[in-house]
Amino acid sequence: MAKPESSPVIELVSLHKSFNGQIVLDGLDLRIEAGQTTVIIGQSGGGKSVLLKHMIALIKPDQGKVLVEGVDITRLNDRQLNNIRKNFGMLFQAAALFDSMTVGENVAFPLREHTRLKQHEIDEIVKHKLRQVGLKGVAHKMPSELSGGMQKRVGLARALALDPKIILFDEPTTGLDPITADAIDRLIVDTQKHTNATCIVISHDIESTFKIADTVAMLYHGKIVEIGKPEDIKSSKNLALQQFIQGKAEGPIQVV
Amino acid sequence: MTKFSVEAKVGFFVVIGMIVLAYMSMKVGKFEYAGEKGYELYAYFDSAEGLVKGVPVQIAGVEVGRVKEISLEAGKAKVAFQLDPEVQVGEDAEAAIRTKGVLGDKYVEVIPGSPQAQPIKPGGRIVRTQSPANIDTLLKQLSSIGTDIKEITQSLSGVLGGREGETSLKTIMDNIRSIAETLNETIQKNNENINRTLDNLAIFSKDLKEISGTNKEAVHEIVANFRQVSDQFRDALIAFSEITGKINRGEGTIGKLIHDEETIRSMNETLVALKGITEKINRGEGTIGKLVQDDETADNINAALSSINEYLQKEERFRTYVDYRGEYLFDSDDVKSYLSLRIQPKEDKYYLLQIIDDPSGKKTVTETTTTVGGTSTTEYKEEIDKDEIKFSAQIAKRYYDLGLRAGLFESTGGIAADYYLFDDRLILSLETFDFDPDENPHLKFKADFTPFQYIYLTVGFDDFISTEGTESFFIGGGLRFSDEDLKTLLSGAPIPKN
Amino acid sequence: MIKIIETIGRGLIRFIEEFGQVMFLLMSAATWMVRPPARLRAIFKQMEFVGVNSLAVVILTGAFTGAVLALQAYHGFRLFGAESLVGSTVALAMTRELGPVLTSLMVTGRAGSAMAAELGTMRVTEQIDALYTMATNPIKYLVVPRIVAGVLMLPVLTIIADFVGILGGYIVGVGLLEINSGIYVAKMIEIVELEDIFNGLVKSACFGLILSLVGCYKGFYTTGGAQGVGQATTRAVVIASVSILISDYFLTAAMF
Repeated sequence: MAKPESSPVIELVSLHKSFNGQIVLDGLDLRIEAGQTTVIIGQSGGGKSVLLKHMIALIKPDQGKVLVEGVDITRLNDRQLNNIRKNFGMLFQAAALFDSMTVGENVAFPLREHTRLKQHEIDEIVKHKLRQVGLKGVAHKMPSELSGGMQKRVGLARALALDPKIILFDEPTTGLDPITADAIDRLIVDTQKHTNATCIVISHDIESTFKIADTVAMLYHGKIVEIGKPEDIKSSKNLALQQFIQGKAEGPIQVV
Repeated sequence: MTKFSVEAKVGFFVVIGMIVLAYMSMKVGKFEYAGEKGYELYAYFDSAEGLVKGVPVQIAGVEVGRVKEISLEAGKAKVAFQLDPEVQVGEDAEAAIRTKGVLGDKYVEVIPGSPQAQPIKPGGRIVRTQSPANIDTLLKQLSSIGTDIKEITQSLSGVLGGREGETSLKTIMDNIRSIAETLNETIQKNNENINRTLDNLAIFSKDLKEISGTNKEAVHEIVANFRQVSDQFRDALIAFSEITGKINRGEGTIGKLIHDEETIRSMNETLVALKGITEKINRGEGTIGKLVQDDETADNINAALSSINEYLQKEERFRTYVDYRGEYLFDSDDVKSYLSLRIQPKEDKYYLLQIIDDPSGKKTVTETTTTVGGTSTTEYKEEIDKDEIKFSAQIAKRYYDLGLRAGLFESTGGIAADYYLFDDRLILSLETFDFDPDENPHLKFKADFTPFQYIYLTVGFDDFISTEGTESFFIGGGLRFSDEDLKTLLSGAPIPKN
Repeated sequence: MIKIIETIGRGLIRFIEEFGQVMFLLMSAATWMVRPPARLRAIFKQMEFVGVNSLAVVILTGAFTGAVLALQAYHGFRLFGAESLVGSTVALAMTRELGPVLTSLMVTGRAGSAMAAELGTMRVTEQIDALYTMATNPIKYLVVPRIVAGVLMLPVLTIIADFVGILGGYIVGVGLLEINSGIYVAKMIEIVELEDIFNGLVKSACFGLILSLVGCYKGFYTTGGAQGVGQATTRAVVIASVSILISDYFLTAAMF
């Protein structure tokens, strides 16, 4: 296991979580380094989303700590939590755009909520963010009028609206055609470079993972079984990891 | 169409709701707002059965207020109601609990008094009341009336029914007819005589009118006598009806007689004799027939009657109060008591008759002059009769809240002033009497406070500028009953007479 | 036998659990309600949805309820020759019972179900999570405006329903059945008290709270995708309607 020198932005310490008796996270430890893209891979339904949601306190652990810049966010109250969350941006699997608002309003939402900017300033930022994700002239459209890829771009634009230090991506390429998926991957890389934000991506798309990752972590049986640079991961001797990378049904990972 | 903003739509919607609410509240809440204004009166009912708070009070079917409170006081239902300020109720008004329809709700009907009567002041009492007619008592009364009627018709049919009765009736009718015929004949024959008599009667009744006009007292006496007579007459009638009852049942001698064949015969004979009498009238000074026909006579009699009537009506408004008061005199440690009778013919005028038992007694000064050897000495002897009773007789007149009295005060002449406060509950009085040239007059100040209906408390200062050291602070109390109260008290809770 | 008792016990536990959760939601809604900022825009939007947009259905319901009430009461009262009481019967029934209850049931069907569906969809498409990640409390943003709108708008709708119902009764009573209009109105005014109207409005505010709270609760805690949303909607309407009818009894017993 690689041990980077710099202090982690997010540190998960012996995280336990179970739903209705089913153990999802079983004493998980993970350190996320600042200013790079970490991709967490693992089987579908293996608890990747649960892990991600712990980082922004959408889910509270049964046991363990979630340290964001050294602060245990599991013990914070609503108001303190909201202050921490303003440093985050999150892109949901299905974009999670507010379908009662236009695209522009969606992107403007965090700005309206947390800044005292005037309407024309907000409009300016919204335009800028949409251009940043490669969209133009869609601000007045409703989310339902957009394709899945475009919705993800809007979701990203919304996540970027407050210029967050940490951006969480919940399976950004799932359900997209390879071309769109590639475009999104590029967008993630570009965004990371552009903002120097810490990006955390969960994915089961191996191809995409190796395109964007600075660090890859493998989640298996509620624990991080391997973490390291993409090259190290590729040459890892962990059987489960190898099975996952090569995409084989046979191996230690049982497919039900 | 212009597009309204969300706020405009919601605002418009809420305003509509408010308007509808305000409209409905005003419609429905009308009486509640009216109820806050106005003034309160109360009345005592024997029963307020079925009456609830908030039911309407009506005068002549017009709602003028609402019942505010119903409470029990001394075994009677005290009903307080709020009346509209513009509605005035006379002192002789009557309050009745009525029912809407046969099974409807109860409400209070106020039958206003005569327009001349003083209006009752706010907080006052409507004295005359009618409690609701209970359906049970109503039915009981109806059934007893029915029984009576049945009895009467039965006995009637007993007397008149049957062939025998029919023939007797026919004979009686025949006789009556022949009497009337004779009478008519007589009158026609003696027209002149009758006229003369009637003239005399006219003069007589004119005199009577004059007498009654000028000498009301005499008339009053007559009326009293007359009343006594009519009372006796009523008793006689009651006795008579008892007798007739007996007769119907065939009891007693007369009863037996009437039911006897012979009786009918003797009755016929009597009627024949009557015929004879009218024939005598025919020859002598018959007057009865013309009496009712002469106009002048009738007028005179009418005038006399109306003047009597007027007097009687005045008497009808009479109210009498009996009052006992005791005053504890601090300085002499004695109680001075007064028993008075107050006759009040009008609201603003009354006569007061009083008997006073004064512990300081009545002072009599006897002057005795004895002459011994040319020089005469005059001796003054003061006698105090502790048992002597003093009298007061005063006439009082009231102007709004100020009353004035004059007359005999404790057996000496004097005047007094009364000031009425808080609906006559507090009366401040200053009496001045016994104007002896050698002494200061007797001055008395008192304050009477009536917390309850019949009882009052008094406090004052008697003879406070006395030169003889008889001045004294006093405290006391009294009881006052009106004739109405006495009636109520003596008979207990009145029961509606069947 | 044991199974039956178990079922009953489970049902009771579920009921208590759920009731506790509803109360918890109410409590947090109450605390979020008083915390700034007041989301007037969101509240107005919900007021438009719950109030203004329900107007047509409430007017129709009220008018025909009043009309049919007049018709039925007329046939009954004619037996006693008390036709003049039809107006007061309609007015009393509308202001005290039918106005509040029917309005609330209609709004439950219209807006309560919509609340459950909307929040349910937002839950399953992670829009509620998205709100959290954007440091916006969804209870304040979504639940509070709906509850406020329910409590404020139901009395307004009810007073309109009362009025329209009385009008409907009047049209049938005076227009069709030819009851003397003067007596009809006079009897109505004589018998109906201000208290009747106001107690009805207080009731409707309580029903407004119930229907919006239940709708929000069912939607907010939806699980299980599209099917879950459907279930939440149905259950919200059923639970809210039954709760309204049950609480109506207790409110009436307490008030009149």
